[in-house]
Amino acid sequence: MRRFLSALIALGLIIILLEFLNLIPDFGNVDLSKRVSNSFINKSVDGNNETIEFKKSKDLEDGSANVVTSIVVNYRSFDTLGEVTVLFTAALGVGLILKGLRRKRFYREPNFILKTANGILLPLIFLFGAYIFIHGHLTPGGGFPGGTIIAAGILVLYLSNEKFELSHRAKILESGMGTVYVLFGLVGLILSGIFLRNFLPTGVIGELFSAGIVPLIYVAIGFKVGAELSNLISEFQKEGQQ
Amino acid sequence: MSIIGYLLIIIGAFFYFLGGLGMFRMPDVYNRLQAGTKATTLGSFSTLLGVGLVNPAFLGKALLIIAFIALTNPVGSSVLARAAYLKGVKPTSKTVVDEYADEATKKAGEEQ
Repeated sequence: MRRFLSALIALGLIIILLEFLNLIPDFGNVDLSKRVSNSFINKSVDGNNETIEFKKSKDLEDGSANVVTSIVVNYRSFDTLGEVTVLFTAALGVGLILKGLRRKRFYREPNFILKTANGILLPLIFLFGAYIFIHGHLTPGGGFPGGTIIAAGILVLYLSNEKFELSHRAKILESGMGTVYVLFGLVGLILSGIFLRNFLPTGVIGELFSAGIVPLIYVAIGFKVGAELSNLISEFQKEGQQ
Repeated sequence: MSIIGYLLIIIGAFFYFLGGLGMFRMPDVYNRLQAGTKATTLGSFSTLLGVGLVNPAFLGKALLIIAFIALTNPVGSSVLARAAYLKGVKPTSKTVVDEYADEATKKAGEEQ
């Protein structure tokens, strides 16, 4: 009986999916100028949808050259705030679960080669992470990958140095940066009546100092994600210690 | 100049092929790591250098990437091999020299 029911449900799903296929236009036959995506790409959702030029167009709705970033941190910023919260909850959950466990601490003498190479590599890893989130509005990447790269640097530090201990300031940094994100939203709410609205001048598209609050928010996210994942790693490392 | 570049790319592709072959043919983790990392290091070096020679605008970036691979690849493979050894992955039965084990027994003997 149960098998029959599940087969029925699967069949129904297949029929629904096939029906939806009819709604989708044929491959290559989509007129993008009638789609919403076009105004997102031209960064004029509220405006009259003019084509933009790299390094020339000024004072757009959102000045970030990276379309993904302009959607993620400007048009859809509230959702990103939720995403950050999800990551925070995950880190919180790991901390809570690992606190109750009393397992033996994993310890192994650090690799000499890794230790030596770290002197050269670690600054470069941190520099690269910072570059990724500072240039989030220009190149692929942004706060989340940048923060993750920095946390990977912290992980290498843990692997190569037995005495390394993450400062508790990382936790303060994490919550502080989360607060900064919300504060940006509140300032936008006060100045323009919309939560997380871009209230700074957006400048010329494609330049480092452009896109208003987008790079600032991405720097905050980068620090927050980096601190969060570093804390997660240190929780795993400290697992079982009193 | 560009002919040398294309030749280098072909050599690099050949070394990539050898690396892939080594992954299949080698008997244990350490040999596979050796085949994989050595072949890809050399393969990437010559491929990138070849691309740099064919398109001189890319030469600076190619040299930079080569420098980064030279820094990271050997360290990563050595850490992987060490982790596998310490975890207890046995080398193949044809192994002749195991200097790491010799070193470890020597150390233990000195401590006693």
